[in-house]
Amino acid sequence: MSTLTLPLMGFQNSFITTVIAEIRESFRAKWFFLYTLIFGGAIVMLLALGITESQVLGFTGLSRLLITYIQLCVAILPVFILITTVRTVVGDRESNVLEYILSLPISLGAYYWGKLTARFIIVFIPVLLALSGAVFWGAVKNLTIPWSIVGYYSLMLASLAWAFLGTGMFISTLVRKQEWALGLAFLVWLTLLLFIDVILIGVLLQNQLMEEVIIGIALLNPLQVFRTGAILLFDPEMSLLGPASYVILDNMGYTGFLFYSILYPLGLGWAFSWLGYKIFKTGDLV
Amino acid sequence: MIKLSNINKSFAQHQVLDELELELKIGDRIALIGQNGAGKTTLIRTLLGQYTAEGQLSMFGLNPRQQRIEVLQKIGFVPQHSPPIQMSVGELVDFSAALSLTPMKDEVYALAGKLEFDIEEQVGKPFFKLSGGMKQKLLIALALSKRPEFLIMDEPAANLDPAGRKAFFDELSLLPQNTTMLLSSHRVDELLPFINRIIEMDCGRIVHDQQLADEIKAGKSLDCKIQITGEGEAIRKTLDSWKFSNGSNPGLYSGKLAEADRTKFFIEIAQFSKQIKELKMEAE
Repeated sequence: MSTLTLPLMGFQNSFITTVIAEIRESFRAKWFFLYTLIFGGAIVMLLALGITESQVLGFTGLSRLLITYIQLCVAILPVFILITTVRTVVGDRESNVLEYILSLPISLGAYYWGKLTARFIIVFIPVLLALSGAVFWGAVKNLTIPWSIVGYYSLMLASLAWAFLGTGMFISTLVRKQEWALGLAFLVWLTLLLFIDVILIGVLLQNQLMEEVIIGIALLNPLQVFRTGAILLFDPEMSLLGPASYVILDNMGYTGFLFYSILYPLGLGWAFSWLGYKIFKTGDLV
Repeated sequence: MIKLSNINKSFAQHQVLDELELELKIGDRIALIGQNGAGKTTLIRTLLGQYTAEGQLSMFGLNPRQQRIEVLQKIGFVPQHSPPIQMSVGELVDFSAALSLTPMKDEVYALAGKLEFDIEEQVGKPFFKLSGGMKQKLLIALALSKRPEFLIMDEPAANLDPAGRKAFFDELSLLPQNTTMLLSSHRVDELLPFINRIIEMDCGRIVHDQQLADEIKAGKSLDCKIQITGEGEAIRKTLDSWKFSNGSNPGLYSGKLAEADRTKFFIEIAQFSKQIKELKMEAE
């Protein structure tokens, strides 16, 4: 076997092996059980509460259910992903698991990207299953199924999950203690939460900041982007949201913003995960 | 085969490896000794490519950071502390086997069995829930079954029961002569039969590097006579355990001693020095 083919084969082999091992481990983890319970249970609870029968601002049926579910997701999905992901590398490092695993002939890229890929699958599957369950229930109840919204939401949730997984992995490689990783994760989440539309309106009113600054902050905040994109599908006039969203819509247009709300978090996730990989690869591994 | 030249490593301005020079040849079997903080674990992690360090490091002519897969395929490693791996026993065996170029799964089961750890019985149990000894046995089996060219073990027998230790040392003695070993341990006496070199570290430097005598390597033995005074029940028990016997003179014990066990024997009887009147040793 040539020395050129060995690393490539090693990467593929190590990558698949890591993904499978990580998925198996996650299935047994308490956090995954809780995560599935919350995101699966939310849909069941909303259906049990008869939310599809209610009507708010013209939304009813599955659309009403999805809009509520997406609001729940924006509130808890990022923090859940951050808390569970930031411990990935730093936790293995602290417990000496990394010392042993990385003494095996495993490529660093395969280990890192394998962990990230497995986490994405694990995080996204319960949400996707919950959405599929809602669609199935809607079909059974003969409700109109808003396919385009379901598809777009799935993409948006995937994109949001990737953004926070990337951020979580970056933090995980950046710090040497789990406590620091968790603290930093909360700080990131709180900062993003503080700068969503509601706060932006307050800032705009109180400090009369330049419009471009407000819009810039809103466009950089993946939570705000997700929230605006989620509402946009139901409410093209954006009557539910505040002034920042109006201005964004005026500047980017309906379709432009829908694309942006998927591509921006995706890009952010890639950027942070790549930075994390660079830090992981170049420093001390354990 | 392995060459470290002018290796420096520091953590937060604390020098852990200090201009370290070391060369290991094929078949070297080394006991790495030194007090806590001497730099043994840092050296091991540097060899495994887990730490970045200044200086030149060549493992089998390769760089363990840049060509880690090729280097690590040749290395078997047992850490000092068994990590709390979440995988089940079976999954860990599969995981290791999937990464190895050498087919090793059957070998792991067989080797673990020889170490008195039945993988079949524990196959679904999470690794971290095993006892300390069981974890150690599995990690030893995983490391040895790769048939490594270079075996690195950090306190490998620390958690093993007497039977496990014996089985482990038996397996070590069966390794091919061209297997290079680096065994870090606080109990050199146990390792004496398997090693041909002792390296002592202190403050990140190698302060002592000794090739062991040919007599030890050749497995020669010694005729030993020891004259004791008084009742001395404890020393008599110790000599019995070494299979020494006394004839008509109840204070005169005689027996045979493997050259490799000389240091261990001295360490054990040193505590009875006041009761020893005379000690003679002659090569056979």
